[in-house]
Amino acid sequence: MATNGSSSGAAVWAILRKECRSEWRTRYGLNAALLFSVTTLTVVSFAVGRLSDRTDLLSAMLWVVLLFAALASLSHAFVREVEGRTMTMLRLVASPTAIALGKLLFNLLFLVVLELVTVPLFLVLMGGPPPRWGPFLAVLALGSFALGTSSTLVGAVIAQTRGRGALFAGVSFPILLPVLAAAVSGTRAQWQGGAVGADLRLLASLGLALLGASLLLYDHLWED
Amino acid sequence: MFLRLLLLVWIAAAIVAGFAWAPTVPYLEETTRVLYFHIPAAWVTVLALGWSVVHSVLYLRTRKLEHDDQAAGAAELGILFCIGATVSGSMWAKAQWGSYWNWDPRETSIFFLLLIYAAYLALRSAVEAEERRARLAAIYSVAAFVAVPFLMFVVPRIYQTLHPSPIIGRGSEGGMDPRIRVVFYAMLIGFTGMFYWLLSLRVRTARLERRLAEA
Repeated sequence: MATNGSSSGAAVWAILRKECRSEWRTRYGLNAALLFSVTTLTVVSFAVGRLSDRTDLLSAMLWVVLLFAALASLSHAFVREVEGRTMTMLRLVASPTAIALGKLLFNLLFLVVLELVTVPLFLVLMGGPPPRWGPFLAVLALGSFALGTSSTLVGAVIAQTRGRGALFAGVSFPILLPVLAAAVSGTRAQWQGGAVGADLRLLASLGLALLGASLLLYDHLWED
Repeated sequence: MFLRLLLLVWIAAAIVAGFAWAPTVPYLEETTRVLYFHIPAAWVTVLALGWSVVHSVLYLRTRKLEHDDQAAGAAELGILFCIGATVSGSMWAKAQWGSYWNWDPRETSIFFLLLIYAAYLALRSAVEAEERRARLAAIYSVAAFVAVPFLMFVVPRIYQTLHPSPIIGRGSEGGMDPRIRVVFYAMLIGFTGMFYWLLSLRVRTARLERRLAEA
């Protein structure tokens, strides 16, 4: 059992590597998420057309697409263990906190890959004006951080219930509502030339608060 | 028995006083009276959430199922009062603002609480094993509670509020008719008492059900 600082760091790193390797073996989760986000993007783009001058709508659409993609895929890291009946084995080799942190890092990495495809495609398809890259990427990064921390915690909870997939979106949503509101407001502000500081602070503090709460709660995740 | 009777008489008297004795505020006219039901319901909604979260934390620390009964009971009652507050507020909004729903910050916040309660209860219904249900629900309840202040902070920057309670609560409370204030506080106490009584019933039922299942 990994308990002290350095060995639990090693355990987190090992979990992250294991996640990446098993994801890369099938690429099932990634393929499904990419396909889903491209589908959502197509639906949005097809339904409303190009919105070059409506940056308020563009920022809302961008986060709706990202939120849907995240809700469709981020519980996967835990559900996979339950469905493959590998959770017990995993718990034998690492502490709950190490498992959850490793999966959190994996989910964040997963979001980065997802956004690397979705965001450029969104900007091209919707014909948005070029964003101010600094503030835009900062909002995207902190928004994803808050999205990742909350989805990882809820994903771990949801994996132990009946009807895992169906419940995940609905149960995550209340926690994600402030993330969505702040991220949309920040994205809109950077397009309209406003200040994004307040939204960035909000996203960062929400992400950190959720991470802090998670670190206290991870210990209680698995007991039976 | 005596306390229950007192509660019944207390709330009944406050309702009668609210309609027959207390005056109305000039601009709000007859809709003033929603004050005696809407705000106490909203107050109990928040109280129940706090109660539920405190007992969730206590459950995670002590692992006594009694705490889970308290948390679950408070959440069940909370969603009931939350629906009451939302519906009465929405009807008032139709009378005063001309539309049932407009994503006013107050409407957004109460809707957010409704979502949290609904998600919490949906989560509970999806786990069968008692201890696991208690544990997972407690974890979720704490996580959702962490997100609450952030929404309260971010929403007012996006939408402007028309909601009158800042006016009643702050500026003109001194100027508010003392009769309105008496009925309002009486209702607040009545609703809180009703919440406490219903919760104790709910907890007792849960305890009896468990004893029955064990026997």
